[in-house]
Amino acid sequence: MATLRLDGRRIEVQDGDTIGAAAFRAGVRTFSRSLKSHRRRGLYCGTGDCANCLVTVDGMPGARACVTEARDGMRVTRETGWPSADRDTLAIMDRMHWATPVGFYYKVFSRPRWLWPLAERVIRRATGTGTLPPTEHVTATPTRFLRVDTLVIGGGVAGLAAAAAATGRVAVAEGGSIGAAAIDPEARAAIDRLAVQARVAGVEILERHAAIGIYEGPSVPLLGPDELVEVEASRVIVATGAIEAHGVFPGNDLPGIWLGRGAARVAAAGVKIGDRAIVVANTDAGERIGAALRAAGAHVTVVTGRVLEARGRTQVSSVTVLTPQGRRAYACDALVLSLGWAPRDSLLRMSPDPEVVGAGEVVLPGCSLTAAEDSGRAAARGESVEARLAEPWPVLEHEGYVCVCEDVRVHDLEAAWEEGWTSSEILKRYTTATMGPCQAALCSRHLAAFTQEKGAVPGATGRTTARPPLRAPRLEELIGGVHEQAERRTALHERHHALGARMDHSGLWLRPGTYGEFREEIRAVRQRVSVMDVSTLGKFLVGGRDARALLDWTFPLDVASVAPGRARYLLALDEAGYVMDDGLLAALRDGTFFLTSTSGGADRMEAWLRNWIDRLDLHAHLVNQTAQLGAINVAGPHARDLLAALSGDDLSREAIPYPGHGEIEVAGVPCRALAVGFVGELSYELHHPRGRSVELWDALLDAGRRWDIRPHGLDALDVLRLEKGHVYLAQDTMPDDHPTKLGLDWAVAMRKPDFVGKRALERMAQLPLERSLVGLRFDGSPQRGHPLTVDGAIVGRITSCTESEAVGGSIGLGWVRAVDGVFPAQLRAGELTATVVPTPFYDPGGERLRA
Amino acid sequence: MPELRGGQLAVILCAADAEALDALVAPGHGARTLRTCSDEVLVVAAPDVADTVAREVRDRIAALDPDALVLDVTDGWSAWSLIGADAAHAFSYLSALPVPDPGGFTQGDVARIGATVLGGDDAVTILVPAYWRQHVRERAIRDANAIEVRP
Repeated sequence: MATLRLDGRRIEVQDGDTIGAAAFRAGVRTFSRSLKSHRRRGLYCGTGDCANCLVTVDGMPGARACVTEARDGMRVTRETGWPSADRDTLAIMDRMHWATPVGFYYKVFSRPRWLWPLAERVIRRATGTGTLPPTEHVTATPTRFLRVDTLVIGGGVAGLAAAAAATGRVAVAEGGSIGAAAIDPEARAAIDRLAVQARVAGVEILERHAAIGIYEGPSVPLLGPDELVEVEASRVIVATGAIEAHGVFPGNDLPGIWLGRGAARVAAAGVKIGDRAIVVANTDAGERIGAALRAAGAHVTVVTGRVLEARGRTQVSSVTVLTPQGRRAYACDALVLSLGWAPRDSLLRMSPDPEVVGAGEVVLPGCSLTAAEDSGRAAARGESVEARLAEPWPVLEHEGYVCVCEDVRVHDLEAAWEEGWTSSEILKRYTTATMGPCQAALCSRHLAAFTQEKGAVPGATGRTTARPPLRAPRLEELIGGVHEQAERRTALHERHHALGARMDHSGLWLRPGTYGEFREEIRAVRQRVSVMDVSTLGKFLVGGRDARALLDWTFPLDVASVAPGRARYLLALDEAGYVMDDGLLAALRDGTFFLTSTSGGADRMEAWLRNWIDRLDLHAHLVNQTAQLGAINVAGPHARDLLAALSGDDLSREAIPYPGHGEIEVAGVPCRALAVGFVGELSYELHHPRGRSVELWDALLDAGRRWDIRPHGLDALDVLRLEKGHVYLAQDTMPDDHPTKLGLDWAVAMRKPDFVGKRALERMAQLPLERSLVGLRFDGSPQRGHPLTVDGAIVGRITSCTESEAVGGSIGLGWVRAVDGVFPAQLRAGELTATVVPTPFYDPGGERLRA
Repeated sequence: MPELRGGQLAVILCAADAEALDALVAPGHGARTLRTCSDEVLVVAAPDVADTVAREVRDRIAALDPDALVLDVTDGWSAWSLIGADAAHAFSYLSALPVPDPGGFTQGDVARIGATVLGGDDAVTILVPAYWRQHVRERAIRDANAIEVRP
């Protein structure tokens, strides 16, 4: 015999049992304690709709015992109650409603201020549903995508009829197993027949896949047992059925009170829900439910009427019903309600999309099997069925729990109404009714009915908004396929690893931070020779007869002044004249242009250029070569010597001027060599086919041993560029920086007739310069981001700083605001003195890079 | 479980006027011509015919748009193929895109990055910028349960 352990107690499990059925058979009546008042809660809906039976299964909280299949060896614990759900000392809260009126936490514990954090901790310990398992690692649930013409949510009669009749690719998502919820033999037979038809029609049936929401698209996430399925559907048919309406009357939350279909379902599993059961039925389901209970051995009385009150201590022991014959009291140990129908329409209400329609009981609550089947087929044909109002509209007696999840009574709604919260949405927020784990499955109509009964103004009486998720997903499911770090790797990634590089994230790229000692890498650049993988730079080829016109318009540099074979520093400005990006423009000898951008700005640069080609209808072609070309910067006094050792091409300044470029072969690899100066030494950026990066890198390192070559990473680059006074866009700049603020006026050809941002620059030139990026020398070692002050007033901040061996001392860049129209020459950075100095700090004449 | 194979494909890019590309006669040699946008065509071919295909494209487009750019951009692309009867199902763990019919292609989000997808008989080929080669490989193995087969 299979067994599970419930709170340590061994319980027998029969074939087909849910945890709830097995536990109930073993005598468990209290499955949880309520959130606030710690009242006993037993099995109620029996269909997974309410949250009365939430238990922790094998360490995972939040399982609904009534629909979770029981398995041998399971360890189940009830989540609420201290020391146990059966004997809960906090049940005293049920006698302290006077101390915890509705919305009390908005009103108390606010003075003194230290009290609330304390009270909050106590409240949280005393409430809640389960404890998250202690774990350090969460593995994302595998996510798959499913694109279908029609997704049917719900595998009952209407859903399967819709699926079998729908055309194209069709899928059915059923939260449980097909047919498992059907107790009526006729319904079961119809489901079996329709399931066969659907399968023959090629429908993909996803059992134990629960839809938790409908998003724009329509897009529907399905939580499966071991996967998250993101469904993109052209049409969604919601066929989630209906349950019996929640009854609100004094004592309505006592264990032993059931909703009809759930009770019948438990009884069908061979569980006797009571010796003496009273079925109060205002639907045509009363006799069917009664028959199911009798078959399980209960003595059943079926009555019609209005429940006035239920009584009992630990579970229901009597009920008073206003029948057509008058007021009647019945002794009972089970009270089963079938007062009306409540469509499971939360999913349907989540989407206003006309492609999302309902079928079956969700729009025709209480309909016959034939009507359900017909409505499914109609939905498959694209006919939407007007939702029929669930009748009777819920009746609220003078007392009773409206929201069993959040312990909200009729009395609480009355109190909130008296305080002025007079619409269903506001009542929801103030009282927290409908905000519990069942997500308004039971009580949203009741809240709306209450506001109608109270005479709320039109527009304030509707049902509260339904939003995803319908069920609480686990963290594993929430992160399924979402937190994706798509890392771009250069062709030299493995080489960097082999050299012991610390790889850093730089935007989307993984790049070497340092290979060990970055100061030594700096010395290699300044004194010998070094290489750096700069494959991440944006690289573009621009051609076509309007290429020059495109570049002349898009960038502020004078393109006409860039002769074939030459290159120029390039700023990219937006229409407001603000600096977006920078790079290099090289005029190739075939009339095309080669353009580089920052690593992080490549995608934006491409979009920017394509946008202008389209807007100006230019005959220009753009090829993004960022992925196609690798690039290695060879820098240092011996850079030319190193290349000469590997190349027979002319490397002189006549062949490759500064700034300029040449097409050469290095170690047999064709390279476009750009003579650049970002690090302030003789440098050649070797742009080459990515597939040959490793070959070129190895050859350079091998030949460079003669000069004690070593590669440098981002840490060294940060110092090297700062010594030259070069800015890092975003780190040293702000979104509204125009070239003047950055000291980059020289890169703007204002004499050109027009270019993007020119008019904005002209207007800004009329205004006094309020702040400027300046070079700074410090008499100590400051921190980046430190405020810069004059007479104690903050006038700027440090954007970059470093200790420089080459310059001798501490240098940096920083923003400084003009004080009374004058830029200060000396500032304070905390205890340090910062002196404004011209840049570059290193080799101001640029002799070294022109060597 | 589907096989995952790193593809050996040559990619020729032709950037030209839309009208010129409309009129471009696709090269033979088993190459597939993908009109990825109005002013760009990617021609995907076996590596051994890459030069021939590139020459054909260059010659043909020159007559239609003398400024057209034709480049062998094979180095910039990386191809991974999911192979097997369940290739389409495996692909659904990577993308919401419908699997193209054999001979067809589509573009969009695969493993959360931009990709071009080629349909084949019991095969789906994912073409991505080369810097994402490893990312797609890792995702195909992790999420699509593909077994990598090295040639």
